This record gives sequence, C-alpha cells and structure tokens, in this order.
Amino acid sequence: MKKTNRILTILIFAFLYLPMLVLIVASFNTGKNLTVFESFTLGNYKDLFQDKDLLGLLGNSLLISILSTAIATGFGTFAAVGIHNLKPRMRKTVMSLTNIPMTNPDIVTGISLSLLFVFIGTTLLHQKESLNFWTLLIAHITFNLPYVILNVMPKLKQMDPALQDAAMDLGCTPAQSFFKVTLHEIMPGIISGAIMAFTMSLDDFVISYFVTGSGFLTLPIEIYSYTKKPMQPRVYAMFTLLFLLIFVLMVVMNLLQIRSERKKTAKQETTKSGRIFRRVCAGFCAVAIFFGAGWLIFSTRQDKVTLNVMNWGQNIADGSDETMDIIAAFEEKYPHIDVNYTTYESNESLYAKLAGGGVTVDLIIPSDYMIARLIDEDMLNPLNFDNIPNYKYVQERFKNTAYDPDNAYSVPYTWGTVGIIYNTKFVDEADVTGWELLWNEKYAGKILMFDNSRDAFGITQFLEGISINTTDTKELQQAANKLAQQNPLVRQYVMDQIYGAMEDENAWIAPYYAGDCMMMMDANENLQFYLPEEQGFNLFIDAMCVPKCSENQKEAELLINFLCEPEISGANMDYICYASPIEGARDHMDEYLAESQVIYPEDSILEKGTSYLFLPPEVNRLMDNLFMEVRISGGDTSESEEEPSALPVILTFAGLGIAAAFLFLPKKKTKRN
Amino acid sequence: MEFDGERILDGINLYFNDHEFLTLLGPSGCGKTTTLRIIGGFLTPTSGRVLFDGQCINDVPAYKRQINTVFQRYALFPHLDVYGNIAFGLKVAKLSKEEIQERVQDILAVVGLKGYEHRRIDSLSGGQQQRVAIARALVNRPKVLLLDEPLAALDLRLRKDMQNELKRIQQAMGITFIYVTHDQEEALSMSDTVVVMDKGRIQQIGKPEDIYNEPKNAFVADFIGESNILDGVMLADYKVKFFGRVFECVDKGFAPNEPVDVVIRPEDIDFVPAGEGHLVGTVTSVTFKGLNYDIIVDFRGFKWLIQTTDYHGEGETVGIRLNPEDIHIMHKSEYSGMFGDYSSYSAEYDELTEDVADEEE
Repeated sequence: MKKTNRILTILIFAFLYLPMLVLIVASFNTGKNLTVFESFTLGNYKDLFQDKDLLGLLGNSLLISILSTAIATGFGTFAAVGIHNLKPRMRKTVMSLTNIPMTNPDIVTGISLSLLFVFIGTTLLHQKESLNFWTLLIAHITFNLPYVILNVMPKLKQMDPALQDAAMDLGCTPAQSFFKVTLHEIMPGIISGAIMAFTMSLDDFVISYFVTGSGFLTLPIEIYSYTKKPMQPRVYAMFTLLFLLIFVLMVVMNLLQIRSERKKTAKQETTKSGRIFRRVCAGFCAVAIFFGAGWLIFSTRQDKVTLNVMNWGQNIADGSDETMDIIAAFEEKYPHIDVNYTTYESNESLYAKLAGGGVTVDLIIPSDYMIARLIDEDMLNPLNFDNIPNYKYVQERFKNTAYDPDNAYSVPYTWGTVGIIYNTKFVDEADVTGWELLWNEKYAGKILMFDNSRDAFGITQFLEGISINTTDTKELQQAANKLAQQNPLVRQYVMDQIYGAMEDENAWIAPYYAGDCMMMMDANENLQFYLPEEQGFNLFIDAMCVPKCSENQKEAELLINFLCEPEISGANMDYICYASPIEGARDHMDEYLAESQVIYPEDSILEKGTSYLFLPPEVNRLMDNLFMEVRISGGDTSESEEEPSALPVILTFAGLGIAAAFLFLPKKKTKRN
Repeated sequence: MEFDGERILDGINLYFNDHEFLTLLGPSGCGKTTTLRIIGGFLTPTSGRVLFDGQCINDVPAYKRQINTVFQRYALFPHLDVYGNIAFGLKVAKLSKEEIQERVQDILAVVGLKGYEHRRIDSLSGGQQQRVAIARALVNRPKVLLLDEPLAALDLRLRKDMQNELKRIQQAMGITFIYVTHDQEEALSMSDTVVVMDKGRIQQIGKPEDIYNEPKNAFVADFIGESNILDGVMLADYKVKFFGRVFECVDKGFAPNEPVDVVIRPEDIDFVPAGEGHLVGTVTSVTFKGLNYDIIVDFRGFKWLIQTTDYHGEGETVGIRLNPEDIHIMHKSEYSGMFGDYSSYSAEYDELTEDVADEEE
C-alpha cells in the first residue's frame, strides 16, 4: 500500500512538473524544434531582454495583475467582513451570489463586460474608444474579487469573535479593532486570496481579450495571436523566468510560514516574517505604482500621433532572425508617429472587433473577401492616393480586383496560394495528381484538413468543379457531402497545429497556405508543396485598408506608402514568407525565397487561381453549419436536415451533467460540515 | 432585554457599589452573561437603562466606557506578545511610551508575570494566559472590571489559586469587580455580594452568608449548597408543621396556616439513636466524600441527604433531631416541589450539574 502510494505521488508530481521541465529545457535550446535538443544556449534569454515589445507586454500584464490584485484584495477583504457580519441566511445568499461569477464561463463574463463597457463608454459617455486600460483593469478587479472573498471568509469564520469585543473593550473603535486585530487574524487568507487573484489575472486571456482596446494589450492576448508561426524560443525563456519567479515566491512564503510557526513554539522575539512580508508587499506596491505612473506618463504624452495598426499575428517583420524591424524603421523615418501594433487571428475576429465598436484602428490588413464585405457594409474610408505615391509600384495584376474594383479602398500587402503540402517519404508521387489526394483512402488517418469552412469548402468545390463563390444551396450541399466522405480519413481539422503535425511527420498530407508551407518545408526537408493548377486553387490577397473608425488616416497612408517601397516590402516578405504584390520587391528578397516556385508560381499558373468573393451572410452561415455537421457526425449530411444533429444532444447531456454536479456537490459539503 | 424575540432578561434591577466584589451566579442560560455584556456595552438593552455614576450609558459604545472585561476564553490577541497584549489599550489611548512601559511593568508585577514580556501568547499555560487577560484589562485602570467565567477553563487546583489571586488583586487595586460564574463555591468564597439569577430574573441578592443561610426560595436553596426541601405548614410564628409533626423554628411573619417550603441543610442534621429521634428512617445509601459521608436516609418514602462524619451502614435504622435554628422556612414559589428531594440522588450528582452549566447562550 505504501509503495503504491509513493509511486502515485511520484507520478502526480511528474505530471505536474514535467511540462514545466520541458519548457525550461526548450528555453535553453538553440534549435527551434521542440522535440530535438540541439545544444545549450542563453541566446533566447538575450533575445528576450532585447525584445522591447515582449518586455513591454510583460510589463503591461504585470501592471494589470498587480494593480487589480491590490485593489481587489482591498475591496474583497472589506466585502468579506461585511458579508461575515450579515445574518446567516443572508450571508449564504450573498456568498452564492459572489461565487457565481467564478463558476461563470470566462467567455460569458468577458462578452457581457465588453457589452457593458461599450454601452457605457460609447452610448452614455460618447467616448471614441470605450475599451481601454481602465476597462481591462475594472474587468480584472471584477473577476478577482470572488477569489479574495472566498479565501478571506473562512479565516473570519475561524476567528474568535470575542477578539473584536476585546479590542473594543480596550478602547478601539470598530474601525480600529478591524485594523489592529481582525486584519492580523485574517492575513493568511488575504495573502492566499491575493496570490490566487494575481495568478488568475496574470494569465487571463478570454476576459481580457473582450474588454481591452487596441491601446493596451497583455501578454496572453499577444501570445494567443501567434497563430501563423510557431512560438519563438524567447517566449519559452520568458515563461521559464515567470515560472521560476512564482516558484521562488511560493517557496519563500512557505519557508516564512514554517519559520513563524516554529517561532510560535519557541521563545523568540519580534515577528520577523511579518516584517519581511510587509516589505515584500511594499515592494509589490512600489512596483505597481512605478509601472502605473510610467504608463500614465507614457500614455498622456500627446506630442506624438499614435497610429493604431491591426494585423495578423506575426505578419510583419519585427527584427527577429536577422530580418528588418519594419515598424522601428517607419518610426525612425517619421519621428512624430508612434505605432501601436496589435494583432488578430482571423478575418472574422477582426470583423467582430470593428463591428463591435469601441475601438480606434487606423490601419487593418484583412483578406480579399473580408475587404469586399467591409466595403459592402460601409466600414472603410476611401484612400487618398496623393499620400501613397508608391502605389505606382503595385503590379497591375493586383489592381481592379474583384473585391475592390475601383481601387478606392485598398492597397495590396501580400498574396499567396492554397496548395497541398505532403511528405515525400510516405506519399507516392504517382498519387499526387490533384485535390483528390486529400480523399485518398491509402493515406487514411494521415490527412489533415482546414479547420475553417471557407477554405474547406473551397478545396472541395475546386475538386467537384463548382464555383468557390457559389451561393447555390444544392451545390453547397454537394460539397458538404463530399467533405463528409473525407471525414473518416481525416486525422484532425487544424489551423496552426499543422506545423507540429507535419514537421514531426504525424500527418503526411494537408492543404495549407503556401507561405506557411514554405516554413514547414524549411523545418523538414521531406515536405513538398503541390499546387493543383488544373483543378484550380485559391489565390488570396491581403490588402491594407483604413477603417471608418480611424482618427489618423493621413499617418495610416504614410505607413501604407512606406510598406509599398520595394525595398521595404522585400525585406518584409523575408520574414512573413508570402509573395509581394510590389514590383521590384522580389529583387530585395532573400534569393531562396524569391526563386521559390511555392511563393512565386509562374504567371501562367497564377491565372488559374481564383479569389474568394464576399458571400451573403446566410450563405456563410449555411456553410458554417454544414461544416460543423461534417466535423461532428461525419455521416451523410443530406439527412441531417430532418434528423436532429448530435450537437444539441451533446450539449443537453453536458448541461444535465453540470446541473447534476451543482445539485450534488453542495450537499456533500454541508454534510461534511 | 430581548434576543431574537425571546425574553432573556426580565426586571433586572441591580446596584453596584464602589470597590465591591459582586458575583452574578446562576446556571447556564440564566442571563448572567447577557447582563454582563449589557454592562460592558456589547449589547444594547431593548428596554431599561444602564446608569454609571448616575449617567445613562445606554448609548455609550463599549470603547468609550470606563469598564474593562476579562473574557471567558481570554480573547488574547495571538499576533501580539504578552507586552503587546497588555499595552494594547494604552497604545489605543495614545499614552506616552514611557508611561506605557511603566504601567505595563507595574501590572506585570501585580499579576506575577515579570519577565514574561516577550513571550508569545500560545507559549503560555492557561493560568498565565488568564493573568495576561486580567493584566490587559486592569492596566487601563477601569472603574469596573467585568469577569466572564474567567476561571472556567482552568483545572481545579489552578482555579483555587486564581480565586485567591483575584480577590487579592481586587483588594489591592480597589476596583469594582463584577464576576460571572456558575460555580456557587467560587461565588461564596470570593464575593462581597452575590446575585443569584435564574431564567432571566434575579432570585436573591445578598451577602454570601445570608444567601446560604436564608435562601429566599427553593431554587436558591438548592443551587447554593445542598438542601432537603419539604412541604410544611406554618402554624404560627416559630411553629412549623411537617411530616405530621410540629417543630419549633426561628422564623416568623407568615400568615397562619400558610403552606411553606422547609429547608434543612444536610450538614445541620444530627444523628441520634433511633428511639430518641424526632424522625426515624432507614439508611439507603452511603458515599464516602473525604471530609464526610453523604448518607441518604428514607423517612417514610421521602429521601433526605445527610452529611455527617459518623458512619452508618446501609439498611441501618437511624433517628435524627432537628434544632430550631436548623430549620429555615421559605414562602412557596414557582420552584416549590422542583428541588430538595434526593430520591434520584447519585454520587455523580455534583459533576453532572457542573457539566451542564458550562456554556452560556
């Protein structure tokens, strides 16, 4: 029995700490590949401390968590005291009310807070940018409060109520008795509540994502938008440091606690641990105030124009891997402009941010069909081409496009194709004949598929010879049936997870964007790219636009112009691995990329590519629903219109399960009491 | 005083004299702690007034009253050491450092804890904690010190020592002590005045001797010491009839033929040979108590407790004599018939009552 216990303990610790160990090892790895340790380096740490953006984001995260923790701990403690002094029945009600936000899914909290802030900010206060640092801070305080209350309450319950009487008896007003006696008694609860709140706040993504504007980003928000490329090793280095910091903090706190407990039995003098703790607290507060003051000074510096740029994650050269730091170069050229660069992970999420209101964005880089939609919904400003003389470098092929026929709203940024990446070690060249490779039963379980409806349907439509911009319900149903046939063969529906799966050879065949395929081929030489030119393929263009909410259109146009310079565009493509629509940019690119057929297919091939057009929302919705059914049922989707799909059933069961858990759990607790 | 709609205290009318050691005595739930909390300012009475030096202090909060309290389980501040606890009230009052130092040292001498200044509270024994609690209250030089069962948590030996200590401190400092206890022996041995309470009412106020010798009703007679309580009829002054026999007594002032309770203390009863006794009965049980034997004697179906140093074996027929001064007559009260019968007497009787009377409220 003892032995199994010990083994179990070891196993549990392994499960808890192994991931951290892997992370730490990875942070000292010279190679980018997580699975192979090449050699030891401290370079990642050097990179980290030179990366002002990353450190700035870390600073933001720390600022928000420390401030929100401090405020929530203060309020939460007083709230707990208030609740404790209520009559028992009332106390129970209030406690369950405070616990609900904690069990509430983050996404619900996030969206409802966001709605509230936008409503108050935009409708009531007529602010231009209603989501900002303060809304983020308020949101963090909100979700931190219950944790503090939950930790402080038991300490209040444990406390001998006579202590307060004693303090009053000795001349303390109720307020004095709280600060001189109660506070000391409940301090352990306050500290553990604060620590819990701090960690919750530090890594919160979901709520933060919805309540912060483009002006203030935290680390998790940025990290989650790194979808297009694998994580940079310097991020591992940062996480390692964060983990170690928290680890050391916890160990020190535990040691202090043990020491103070020992002192209780021994005859020692003053409580040193208390003094140290107070110093630590004071230090934390000082750091928070320092950050806060710095941020305030920084943000109120009005002599500079702040240009808010929203782009895909990792979609601009940032100076890493010996590339050019485009934004820095731009700011150097125009010292009066301060670029505030933020990211989004899909066209749809960009659209949601803009449509939701409450943000100020000056420059966005969506894809073709989304631009058509934004134009259609009157969400873009026409550009003033007098400010963009470099427009002359844009290749004719990218003018008068379907999405912006009059060249009024957009200037192309990158373009690319969607093709198939496959592993030559396992896939027979004879089978590589077209999109049907993705339906080849020989490779069942080794095929990956797009995890977004538009691209998945597009491929099927090319295969079936249907227009990729069809709005015909029957044709869409036909494509869905074809996708359903593929479902049993598909290993996984992926977006950025494709990198690991393909590079580690867990999957052999997948459709993806050419630029990303190029990077994967870089990592594994067995990978090869194939463009089914005969059947047709998607040719996509990402272009720069100025949304209606922009306040600095002129500066945005300056940046557009800057990015259209052949030299700059070329240097930019070296990092993002897509093709440039700028004449002459190719000459400034790394030769290996510039000559690559993957990135720059021949013009004769390119002519066979088709672009996505804007589809009416009901078609998009139908496509989404059909795709969802394909993914879940995998069966023949033609029947699914009559039969209830599995999703509601699953949701119902999940809901019942949760309800049951709620019903039974509290009962057990009361029994134990 | 009402609490949750229930009447806890009723018609409490008490005077406290300066420098007096007054004890509120009663079983648990009798309202003695509630009375104390009202005096201390932790509860506000629903009706009635609390006067202090002639001033109504109903609305004066606890922290402004010149009254300090020693709490039932001491309520010492665990985060402070002995010195910090004692100096607490003085620091709140913002006295100078030197004065605090001086007064703490003085009081430490009074309670005999010199040299313990920097000990942690939880490293002290129960008795030492008790002294710290008393010092913490006394150092503020209150006019009145409230003590809420301060010795209940101590063992018997320590309790005896502390009783003497408390009495000594009270006399030395010349402060009014209001002391709450359920222990009648403690109350009798320490107090100048004892207030016996039950069911939220005062049953009797008086000097310990008067309370003992002349209890007002069956409750007091039973609660203070042991008593045999019999139904009787007062025929005339100095003449009482019970057990079908007229006895001489020292009480007067009752209506003719008034039914009364007759109290006879177990230690006042003298055994005589069966033939010479006023009453003759059979010994049903004998318990050795150290100083004396507790002997239960059955007199015509009514069992008496008799405390004597003479041994009489079980089953023995004995006679007793009652002298006039051994008989105490009380008016009938709501407690009549509830106490004073030892039919169900057992040796554990004492311990039982003490266990029950542990917690208040």
